[in-house]
Amino acid sequence: MKFAYFPGCKISFYMQDYGISFKALMETLGVELIRLPFNCCGYPARKRSFEVSMLSSIKNLALAGKYDLDIITPCKCCFGQLKHASYWYEQNPALKEKIDGFLAQENLSWDGKSHIKHLLSFLHADFGIRALEKRIQKKLPGKKMAVQYGCHALRPFSITGFDNPYAPKIFEELLSVTGVKPVEWSKSTECCGNPIFNGNPELSLKILQNKMETARDAGADYICTACTHCQMQYEMTQYQKQLNNHSLPAILFTQILGAALGINNNLLSLSGKLPLALFP
Amino acid sequence: MFESALCISLIISISGVIFQLHRFRRNRQFLTWGKCGYHTNFFFHIKGFILNTFLQIKLFKAGKIRWSFHFLLFLSFLYLVIIHALHDVTASVWFNSYGPMVDPYPFLRNLAGLLALTGCIGFLIRKRFNHMIFQDKRIKYKGIFSILLILMIVGSGFLLEASKIISEPVFMEMVDMYSDLNKGTELLDLKLFWKENFNVVFAQTIEATREGLEKGRRLNENYCLYCHSNIRSAFLSSTLAKIIHFAGNRLNRYRIDIWFYNIHYMLCLLLLICFPFSRLFHVLLIPFASSRQNLTKDTFRENKAFINIAFLHACTNCGYCSQVCSVYPNFQITGNQDVLPHSKIESVKTMIENPGAVNHWHLHAGNDECTMCGNCTEICPSGIDLQSLWSVLDKKLVFMGYGDNNRFIKDMSLKEWAKKEDVSIGLSHRDALTSNLSDMADAFENCIQCTICTNVCPIVDYDSNQNDITPHQVMNLLRLGKKHLATGTRMVWTCLTCYACQEHCPQEIRVTDILIELRNTGSVSADLIKQVSRPIRRINR
Repeated sequence: MKFAYFPGCKISFYMQDYGISFKALMETLGVELIRLPFNCCGYPARKRSFEVSMLSSIKNLALAGKYDLDIITPCKCCFGQLKHASYWYEQNPALKEKIDGFLAQENLSWDGKSHIKHLLSFLHADFGIRALEKRIQKKLPGKKMAVQYGCHALRPFSITGFDNPYAPKIFEELLSVTGVKPVEWSKSTECCGNPIFNGNPELSLKILQNKMETARDAGADYICTACTHCQMQYEMTQYQKQLNNHSLPAILFTQILGAALGINNNLLSLSGKLPLALFP
Repeated sequence: MFESALCISLIISISGVIFQLHRFRRNRQFLTWGKCGYHTNFFFHIKGFILNTFLQIKLFKAGKIRWSFHFLLFLSFLYLVIIHALHDVTASVWFNSYGPMVDPYPFLRNLAGLLALTGCIGFLIRKRFNHMIFQDKRIKYKGIFSILLILMIVGSGFLLEASKIISEPVFMEMVDMYSDLNKGTELLDLKLFWKENFNVVFAQTIEATREGLEKGRRLNENYCLYCHSNIRSAFLSSTLAKIIHFAGNRLNRYRIDIWFYNIHYMLCLLLLICFPFSRLFHVLLIPFASSRQNLTKDTFRENKAFINIAFLHACTNCGYCSQVCSVYPNFQITGNQDVLPHSKIESVKTMIENPGAVNHWHLHAGNDECTMCGNCTEICPSGIDLQSLWSVLDKKLVFMGYGDNNRFIKDMSLKEWAKKEDVSIGLSHRDALTSNLSDMADAFENCIQCTICTNVCPIVDYDSNQNDITPHQVMNLLRLGKKHLATGTRMVWTCLTCYACQEHCPQEIRVTDILIELRNTGSVSADLIKQVSRPIRRINR
């Protein structure tokens, strides 16, 4: 299998662990990742300018289309934005015309053929849970874990088609394969608060705090994420003071699955360190 | 005369360097901000210096052709400065056999000159055809002066050498100096030999005979050869001499070689004087900016925020940063130059020196687009930590009162906003495409005010104190035709874009998409209002 790898802006600088563990995971599963000169997915610009965000997204899609590749991304915001843009590109003829003009300047065009996949949807639908189960080298200790679904992949379902938006299950199913125990958590589909972190940090942290408290009440020891922005939000270590006792460590899904697949810790994290209780 | 001119130029040049460094020092507070800020100690890293500064590894990675031209120019010019220009204190001391006209030095000199010329011409061609850089008027002509100066110096050097080759007076001076030949047949034979072999142009006609030539050759061996090799090793100048050979007599009469010597010398002094004030200064600044071990994403994490005013001037406007910029499409749509790093850094430099010449709102809008992906820092051949610069700049601009639209609107009441928005309608602006929801009644008229959207909204849940109205009320505002009010509400501006409302709406109204669209519309209005507003200064950082 071959995919155009869309890391998104934040992975390359702030979330390198996610990038390297994702790459190690894909290599182990035999997926070839192609790096293309992608630009920003357009998600950050969505709140300022519809046009800008649409052009950014479609340009990426066109670039992948040029090489006849499907896009895979570990970031749910990038995933949602690319899906979103491909929807509006078809819906809005004026937008389509304008974007086509810009694409033509760079000898690009998009026919809507290349698919956009998120890591989880790829593992669940394309790779398959059974196939994944066969690859597991060691079962991890049955720690209790709450999963953070990530809004932009989950909703709106009519556009993203990720999973049942009211009662999603693919994340838990994938996590169960590794041996850890996902818990029932009422807030698993609620926003992590990252989108407003710059504009309203107090509120953003309030949301985060509530999420951590409820996850703890639900019996979780860890929070598992599969989105760059969610993980960044949970890792707001510099604000730990405010969160004091409420904080739960957040772990990237790629690291958990990677460990279960027997990938070396050094390939899963820059520092080579992962929580000991989880990865003995 | 020459010595005193040299002394004066040196003094100007050195005081220029001191002046520039002082200027950087004076402005150093500009970039001091919290954890990010001014770094007093210049790192000096041997490995980094060799790899980054001397070999220009980062430039090599970014562009092989440009690296080869740059390296040609750099190496050959370095050779010319050290071995040729300063030969009195360098080559003559280091090498016993050194003489300006002894092999292989004439050849090396010509080769270096040729390579330098190639480098300069390559630069000019790129400058002409690189559309990316052309878009910014401020840097359209940057660096051209220095390159033209180098081009003229090398060119005048070749002309000087060629005019000396054909010059009879120069020949006679050397005969007087290095031999005891006066008048008579011997001198004539030597002249004949040099005329035939070395292209010297003599006023009197000399009859060519085989005997005379043979004698001349022997005389040449006796008197000249030990410090004057065959002229042909100076391959470019001797070719040039052949070209100007036809006008030799006239050129010799006016002592054109002295003219060329003066021009060559004066241009070199001009180069010395201009060093601190032109692009040439990057030669001094880049070692400081780039000598730290390869400044990549990994080293960035270790030494966060390494930024210095002097480093801003190490920028050579190469434009690689903008080629890899993640938000280049934002520039394509908005046309805001300050989105692109290579242009933004110019604005920062202007902002430090002359704040009045910069549109701060524009600069903030451009900088706000940055996603902090670090591509520019990673590619920068000068080793400037651009990413830290952008984050410092953001904080600086917010402190100066040029905040983003969210802060801008937060600071005014809804009434005030509605009044201002009315004004903004009169201002001309770019017609931006939107998702066309908030103006189409179809999109929201089915709202039955069931408040499900409000009930599932995390903002309503967590922020009951500060939030003004709720999603279903926004829909109602639209139904009442009060869009201009809706664009300024807190609900619209704090929306998490989590799409919970939209997913749960029983009437299938695109609530979140409408909220986002209202924010886009509000953003356009805010941008317009800002242009006619004063900055809103904040006291607390």
